[in-house]
Amino acid sequence: MSQSKPEKAFAPKRQRMLDMVLALGGLKEESAIPLSKVKEELDRLKTELAPLTDSILAFPDSYFEKFLEAVEKSNITTEISDKGILKESIANLEEALSKSESESLKGLNKLLVDTLSSMTEVEETSETSVDIDMTTTLSTISDLTSEIESITDEFENTAETEAESARDELVALVKTLNESKKKAETDAETALDELQKLGTKTRYGPGLRATAQVKRGKREGRIDDTRFHKLVIENMLTEANRGVIMFVLGKMGSKTVVQIGELMQASSQTVQNALVTMIQRGEVEMVGLDGDAPVFSKVLPKTPNPTLVLKIIVQQVRGIVKSLEDDAAKTANESLDKLQALLERLKILGAYDETELSEPMNKLRETVDSATEAALTSQTSDDTENLKLLISAGLEAFARFRLKITLEKGPNLVSGTNVYGEKLDPEFYQTMMDTYLENELERGTILILIRELGALTTHDLAERTSIPQDRILRHLLRMKRDELLTLTGESHGYMLYDVPRTPSEAEITIQTASDLALQLSEAKVELQRILRELKAPDIGNLANSLEVFSKARDKLATVYVSGAVIDETTVNEVEESIQSAVLLTYRTRAKIPSTRPKVTLEDLADVDVPSVLDEYRSQMGYAPLLGFGTIEWEQSKCLGCKSCEIECPENAIELKPRIEMPKFFEISDEALSQLPSSRSLFYKTIQNLAKGKPSKDISLEKEAPGFGSVEVDLWLCVACRTCVRRCPGPESGALELELKWNLPEVVKQITSTS
Amino acid sequence: MDDNKSAVLICTCGKQLQLGFDFLETQVKKMDLATSVDVHDLVCQEEGLPKIAELLKASSGHLVIAACSSQKIQPRIDQYLDSKGLDSSQIQYVNIREHSAWVHKDLDEANQKSVDMIRGTLARSAKSTKRNIEQKEISTHVTVIGGGIAGVESALSLSNLGYEVSLLEITDELGGHVRSLPVVAPTGKSGKEILSSRLDMLQNDNNIIIMTKTRVKYVTGEMGNFTVHYTSEDEEERTLNTSAIVLATGFKEFKPTSMDEYRYGKNPDVITQFELSCMLSEGKLTRPSDDKPIKEVVMIQCVGSRSEDYKKDCSKLCCTFAIDNSLEIIERIPDANVRIVYMDIRVPFENEMIYKESREKGVDYIRGRVSMTWEQDGTTYVRVYDSLLDKYLETPVDLLVLSAAILPPDGITELSETLGYAIEDDGHVKELYGKLRRNETRRRGVVAAGGVTRPQFVFEAVTDAQAGALIIHNELQGGKIESVSRGAVLNADDCVGCSLCAQQCPRGVPLMIEQIEDEEADEEQKILFKATIDTLNCHSCGVCQSLCPSGATQLNFLSNDQLWSEIEATLEDAGPEYPITLCFYCEECSVSTIDIVGTRKMEYPANTRLIPVPCAGRVSIIDLLKAFEHGASTVMIAACEKDRCHIGGTGNEIAQVQVDVARDILNAIGWKGERVDMFRMFSAEPERFTNAVNEMVKRAKELGPTPVHEGTAGKWMEVTE
Repeated sequence: MSQSKPEKAFAPKRQRMLDMVLALGGLKEESAIPLSKVKEELDRLKTELAPLTDSILAFPDSYFEKFLEAVEKSNITTEISDKGILKESIANLEEALSKSESESLKGLNKLLVDTLSSMTEVEETSETSVDIDMTTTLSTISDLTSEIESITDEFENTAETEAESARDELVALVKTLNESKKKAETDAETALDELQKLGTKTRYGPGLRATAQVKRGKREGRIDDTRFHKLVIENMLTEANRGVIMFVLGKMGSKTVVQIGELMQASSQTVQNALVTMIQRGEVEMVGLDGDAPVFSKVLPKTPNPTLVLKIIVQQVRGIVKSLEDDAAKTANESLDKLQALLERLKILGAYDETELSEPMNKLRETVDSATEAALTSQTSDDTENLKLLISAGLEAFARFRLKITLEKGPNLVSGTNVYGEKLDPEFYQTMMDTYLENELERGTILILIRELGALTTHDLAERTSIPQDRILRHLLRMKRDELLTLTGESHGYMLYDVPRTPSEAEITIQTASDLALQLSEAKVELQRILRELKAPDIGNLANSLEVFSKARDKLATVYVSGAVIDETTVNEVEESIQSAVLLTYRTRAKIPSTRPKVTLEDLADVDVPSVLDEYRSQMGYAPLLGFGTIEWEQSKCLGCKSCEIECPENAIELKPRIEMPKFFEISDEALSQLPSSRSLFYKTIQNLAKGKPSKDISLEKEAPGFGSVEVDLWLCVACRTCVRRCPGPESGALELELKWNLPEVVKQITSTS
Repeated sequence: MDDNKSAVLICTCGKQLQLGFDFLETQVKKMDLATSVDVHDLVCQEEGLPKIAELLKASSGHLVIAACSSQKIQPRIDQYLDSKGLDSSQIQYVNIREHSAWVHKDLDEANQKSVDMIRGTLARSAKSTKRNIEQKEISTHVTVIGGGIAGVESALSLSNLGYEVSLLEITDELGGHVRSLPVVAPTGKSGKEILSSRLDMLQNDNNIIIMTKTRVKYVTGEMGNFTVHYTSEDEEERTLNTSAIVLATGFKEFKPTSMDEYRYGKNPDVITQFELSCMLSEGKLTRPSDDKPIKEVVMIQCVGSRSEDYKKDCSKLCCTFAIDNSLEIIERIPDANVRIVYMDIRVPFENEMIYKESREKGVDYIRGRVSMTWEQDGTTYVRVYDSLLDKYLETPVDLLVLSAAILPPDGITELSETLGYAIEDDGHVKELYGKLRRNETRRRGVVAAGGVTRPQFVFEAVTDAQAGALIIHNELQGGKIESVSRGAVLNADDCVGCSLCAQQCPRGVPLMIEQIEDEEADEEQKILFKATIDTLNCHSCGVCQSLCPSGATQLNFLSNDQLWSEIEATLEDAGPEYPITLCFYCEECSVSTIDIVGTRKMEYPANTRLIPVPCAGRVSIIDLLKAFEHGASTVMIAACEKDRCHIGGTGNEIAQVQVDVARDILNAIGWKGERVDMFRMFSAEPERFTNAVNEMVKRAKELGPTPVHEGTAGKWMEVTE
């Protein structure tokens, strides 16, 4: 069976398996290299590395010494307000210290520990009354709002400039696109090539994949010319349009359909058509309105924290406004309007430099928090006992607001009726309120704890409160859905939840530095160990440790304290040494065999297919790859029964409605006698009737039970042999699997030799 | 007495047929397979029947009767022989009246055609086998799914017929929609009254187990041995073994929340017709929004029905229900104004009486549509377009009632996956055959009754349920099935396990069984299967036989050998001088079409030869090719219309595949593909057959001698391309 040259791109899972096989295949060849040669290579590497290692190993100490100095001098630790970050950094540093001694890290750690304890003290004393001058607070809010406004203006200017610079590129893209469009009418194949090139420029994944599929389909003859032409001028052009739209939205900011159309020199209809699918694919979303026209933006992987924080602030201010009267209410309302407008603008901006906004935004948040609290205390005269209980529980401020509204409105439902004249049963209302109060109380407590202590897990929260862990999880999920919480990572298998925070530059600096300090000390220890006696099995680890150095250096070169990179000379000097060391190691690794497979396939060695096929499939989502090979199909033994297609676990085999007529005349008499009686009579009758031997295959219009040709997609075939075993054809059946690579065998061999 | 040879009895139809009977007699006498030839004037009358019995005994079952259509005489002959204790199953019939004497003017040609067909039938008869009576015992338990009026009635009827019944209802109460109907036309009784006596009978019936709050998940097995998987209130899955299933899950009323013009779901004073029925049954007739009295009522017909967007056709019941309910309103609130906005009023049968009554009592009918509904100062208003006056009317209403469409119930698509019945485009369960087998579904042993097949009035559902119960009784025969085994018989030794029969059987009869023991012994680790076929469940279409690569499954009354030798014998004299068109016709639509052609004496060319098959699906590509091999110039299949296959819907499509592939192959091997074709027909249009035959005879003439006639067939090795 002929197989055209395979396409490079295929399904990720298949790619994973293929990687595995390639790694194993490589190993098999490598094992032929003589040991003496290996030793020679290793010795050479050792000599070459020797002059480089000293400076590399000395680099971390040198850097962190300077870093500590800079931190002490600039006093940036005072700018840290997030205790979570502080704690995480301390933990990192402590672990780093446990790996190897370092004076500078010790000093840095002490500094952070001091900062943390002073913060805790400050908080303990600052629990004072919530008496606040509302007028001053409101004016602070309005000042901060203006500040944020001007920063946002800047953001928008920057975005505008970036958009300007992207314009030239866009003009070129649109030109290519229009040319391909014209060409598609006459020469679809060339046009497709051009569209593919365009795709690599716009980097629009779905478009690229679709183009590749069409190309492959065409090459393998699955798509005929008419259909190919239609696909290119319809689907592929639309995909190309989508790529350009993605380019516009990514580089030039959010746009309306009309704006995109103008930029692309395309009709709004075309843009609209392309956009609908992009929205469905989750690539584009509507973020606001410009007049009546919806504004679209690229979907961001994560909303920037200041946007989230501002969303909460707007909700809180809305609450405050309700509790104020006269002038105060007016001022507050003005601020509210501005903040709402700001929120819209930030949403339209999408991504921006978070750090610039962090300071005013945090201040604004604090002010609004205290204002909320003030607004509440001033109003609380003799509301229900429950409300007081909640306040004493230290409920998170805005949650209290929702509660207050419910408490005020609820009793009306019992005494009066709703629009449909329904009354609320007082007893039912009581239960409802109890549950509601309990929930709000618990959620408030959780929020307070997280805000104070940094990111926490359900487990931590359950320990600190008396709430059962499952209830906590439910609250957390609910609050995450309301965007009150975000996921920040995991600890001991539990997810860490945190309130949205905007880390300041100082916080980021400390976080990055401590994180890298840990990585570097680990890598340093490992590197020293390996270099003491360089052995072949360690070659991979050597490369990994050097890679850690390389990446950490790159990152440290971007960490600024008081506007300057620390220890800049060393950072720059060591770059070359690290690079050379990495390169040398890789070169040697390529020459000697590794002794450990990257993927262990022991499990696979014992797989007996198909007895475990179903189980494996349900667990993994695909059938186990048992090797690579070809499936040979013999027309004369095939009954056209489709059993192979029905049984194939990977849909790799198919009965195509095509009859290979010439082969009907090449079946030997012996083969005919082996066939089931009616089948052989069928062939004999045809031979008896034929005037001439046909030279061409017959293409059937639709599927016909009992007739057809079997085709195998070798890129889907996992060599499980199920089709071969199921085939009811005479003798051993019409199918034969020729294994070129039997994975279980390969694995057995490797595991026994190593 | 030679076992292969048959007696031949030729009937002159009271000396009325224009055929040369002397010629027939001499010709048939010369045939090797004929033991005796008798010409009789009235085979189907009292004089003729004893002659048949006599010949049958003498020829040990092998008898060929050349007379009129077997559709007419066979039942009479069977009945007579049965009363004499004789086996009539081996008798083969040749229709020399409708197929020959009545449709051909030229006596010689008609004679020759009759002789050829008798020769062919003799060959078929030679290899016929004796009838075989099979018995099996199955449980007499039937499961009824759905506890509405149809389900209740089915359960009661089945219990009366002696079956144990489990009645499964998804809600907590029996009665379905009928429970809430204030009045059921034309009885004037309420739904509860109609139900009450039936529910009493149910309660007192020890053969019926009622299971409420029960949901059927899926069903496995086949007739006589189904397993119903269901869950009860506690969500735990249980099973129930049963022999047959009545599907009576009723219908659901369309909730028009998506039709903005009516504000249903937003305004509490806008309700559906069934919701009004519930209100009337409960006795509380006030405005739902504020409990104030009702005076102005507007009903809107065809909400969702006869609309391309929701339900394409008429829902049939809504007009009657709306009139029922409006009369009920007027009776309770005499000064109420009821207006019905309609497109067409459709009240079938005796329901016309209540329409008349409603007009007399002052119900106002407005032909038109409602364009909008709105609320103003606590009052609901509607704007109606009156198409007869061409005017818009605006009026305040206390109650706006929407006659919403009747839709198929939830869950029947899911159940069809395991129960294997077919579903119509509109989502209702498809009847096996609209004209003749309404209660049966495609799956044997599964009967659909009541609203699940189409909107039905209460008493239609009741009759439907009774009919369904009888169908099941017919199938299960009280648990002791004894019948002539007429259908596909599988020779397991020949079965290669390809599963083509199981994949394509229109009724899902063959089951594939994995051969575990053989697999263990197999050196090549083959996965081995063999089919099994319960002949008593088979509908004898022959699709499995047509597709079987090994001849393992064959109809026991028409084996491959029988058909092949019949083809050969019929075409014995076929040659290029007198080109023959061979026609395989199905014994469902086509046989009656051809009989009508005969009785109307519609003439067509006599160089045609006809061979009956139970269903077009029985004709395999080999049969078609054999016909050419033995000298036919053109070959055709006459079959039922598309989607109108009497045997589960796909027999004719399988035949179409054989014809299509045969044509492609003929073209490829140097023949003309047009020599084979397929035609669909039904008896109301006999021209379809004559047109088809004329076309194929014309082609035979135009295309000239076939390679078989020219002697070039099979000489492909000598031809170099």
